Amino acid sequence: MHIPDGVLPATMCIAGYAVTAAGTAYSLRQIGKKADPRESLPKASLFTAAFFVASWIHIPVPPTSVHLLLVGLMGAVLGYYAFPAILIGLFFQAVMFQHGGLTTLGVNTMMFGIPALAAYQIFRLHKAIAKNHFQPGVFGFFGFLAGFLGVLMVVLIAVAILLPSIPAYMDAAAERTAILAIALAHVPIMFIEGFLTAGVVTFLWRVKPEVLEEDVRPDDPTPQQSIPAVAEG
Amino acid sequence: MNDNQTALTLADLSFAYPSQHAILRQLDLTIAPGERVGLIGPNGTGKTTLFLLICGVLKPTAGEIFLFGQPMRYGAFRPEIGLVFQNPDDQLFSPSVRDDVAFGPQNLGLSKAEVDTRVMESLRTTGTLDLAERPPHHLSGGEKRMVAIAGVLAMRPRFVIYDEPSSNLDIRARRRLIRFLQAATETLLIASHDLEFILEVCDRVLLLDGGRIVADGAPRDILGDPALMQAHGLERPHSLVPHEIPHHR
Amino acid sequence: MLDLSVDEYAHLNSPLHRWEIRYKIAGLLALIFAFSFVRDLRLLPAMLVVTLALYLLSKLPWRYLAHRLEYPGFFILMLAIILPLTTGTTVLFQLGPIAIRAEGCLSVVLIVVRFGCILTVGLVCFGTAPFLDAVRALRALGLPALISDMILLAYRYLFEIGTDLMQMRTAMRLRGFRPRRPDTETLNTIGSLVGSLLVRTYERAERVYKAMRLRGYGHGHTIRNELRTRPGDVLAAIAAGLLAAAFIGAQFYLNR
Repeated sequence: MHIPDGVLPATMCIAGYAVTAAGTAYSLRQIGKKADPRESLPKASLFTAAFFVASWIHIPVPPTSVHLLLVGLMGAVLGYYAFPAILIGLFFQAVMFQHGGLTTLGVNTMMFGIPALAAYQIFRLHKAIAKNHFQPGVFGFFGFLAGFLGVLMVVLIAVAILLPSIPAYMDAAAERTAILAIALAHVPIMFIEGFLTAGVVTFLWRVKPEVLEEDVRPDDPTPQQSIPAVAEG
Repeated sequence: MNDNQTALTLADLSFAYPSQHAILRQLDLTIAPGERVGLIGPNGTGKTTLFLLICGVLKPTAGEIFLFGQPMRYGAFRPEIGLVFQNPDDQLFSPSVRDDVAFGPQNLGLSKAEVDTRVMESLRTTGTLDLAERPPHHLSGGEKRMVAIAGVLAMRPRFVIYDEPSSNLDIRARRRLIRFLQAATETLLIASHDLEFILEVCDRVLLLDGGRIVADGAPRDILGDPALMQAHGLERPHSLVPHEIPHHR
Repeated sequence: MLDLSVDEYAHLNSPLHRWEIRYKIAGLLALIFAFSFVRDLRLLPAMLVVTLALYLLSKLPWRYLAHRLEYPGFFILMLAIILPLTTGTTVLFQLGPIAIRAEGCLSVVLIVVRFGCILTVGLVCFGTAPFLDAVRALRALGLPALISDMILLAYRYLFEIGTDLMQMRTAMRLRGFRPRRPDTETLNTIGSLVGSLLVRTYERAERVYKAMRLRGYGHGHTIRNELRTRPGDVLAAIAAGLLAAAFIGAQFYLNR
């Protein structure tokens, strides 16, 4: 899904970098406002690596298979760190593996980063609905929403980028239908990622709630917190 | 109690995680400079927790810790004490060996020249000079262990704690580590399940169980006492088992 | 996959290898951006000549370039097939309903050459020095400290975390997990896999943070490595900058 070098006009690439620079500055400022950034840095860095690795996981969607985007989940786990994490992940992909591109790094980061931040805010809403308590249905539903809408936003931004980049002589109607077809083909993926995100956030809440970003966690103590942990040897 | 002759003094030290049972109960301990102390005990007795407390990474629930006569405050950075982790991967977090060994000295605020000197010195002492430019994940288990040690030694500690240093080492690396520790001049505190290792390196053994020190003495006395060892979920090391008893094929 | 790193030929010796990394990155990235401006086909031969010259100067092997063009080249290939069939009105060649159009072909030529040149110069930029030096250079060029620290730490643990995932997948496969459809069972299992990976990563991060604290993290500043700059490094960067400006200028001139 990452757009390679050479395809987009230069103005689009520069605009992408401008938006990404703004998004990065905004995220860094929000990170600085919260707890000590030095303390959260090792966690955010290792999660960046973990999500990079997790994107190698494929889900079989006959006749082919699709690799995970996990944009919604990144929002739920990383919060504002999702934006720099995505920038770094895409940087690794461009430099180390030539996936995506160097000129299109800005555009690609924006395409995934903005939906991740939006998914974070969407997921936080579950607390407002469930009045800060853990209600499995509400929690899972908003997890689904974060995953589903995350992919939807990525597709919308991708379409918004590709449509104006159509080469001048291309049959505009045919191009539009083609892009629409590709967008519709992603609808099953929206559902898959929705269900997957719901499943993972529920898993995390039950097994290790600290993995989730602080302000998406309900106030209830989780079942396992009443069991004394096994002391380290 | 807190005179400058001791390397480490623990007074009535207790620790428990919030709303959980106590891990350490009213520990009293004194270690003199130059001693090489082995710490044994079944899993879950709190050896790692004790180490993190001594280094100021965890805050005691009660009691006091004195390092070379100075109280150890939670969160303080005291380069006189170093801790070598059980899993060297957790400790080697820089992209290359050289960078990792330089990390501690850099945080001490030393000049670039001094940092380089310390790095070279530590690499040479641990025999890892030719690994300097390698990334940590290209190293073998034994090499990682020695590089982790180099990273701690670069801060020139007077007291070094080793948490399960011989785990996952092959025979050759283990023997190299034994020889290295036998030649070390710092005060040592070593936790290990490898009882033969403790016999070869340490001159004093502590047995930790149920959050308390239940035995403290010469290695052969403690490790060679069958009733004591068995009572705390351990066995005598093979070399201390008299061979009139046919206990293996 | 992780071990065939982009800097596997960083140990070679060539003018590009000797070019001080900050100036190299600044100069070559300027050139790459200039290439992305080019829309006029008359500039393509110049682009190809410059790119070829740089690659030859770098002494990087050809198989290195070929191997790295494979994956991204696949998508470009798709475009190369679709565009001539759909774009434009001037038909070059007709076979029944399928028409190959001139404008589409020209678009393809433009995209392919741009893509190839940008990728190749990118490889020259990042393949002639260790990856970590490149990251430090970016820091020196103005990348925020938080981001560069994140890059270094993420890069360090990429291998371990990747191994974690491989081991878990092998274990799953050995117990019969062979997913064929995105059904509930598959999604639940993959969800647990992702969740477990995140939990293990979190616990690893806690241990790493403790290790960093123990060696003084937060108490001192990292000393930046002093890079020795020679006049040749600066001149080469200026030359690259001028070349980039020339391409952009030429494009605007031809377009007016």
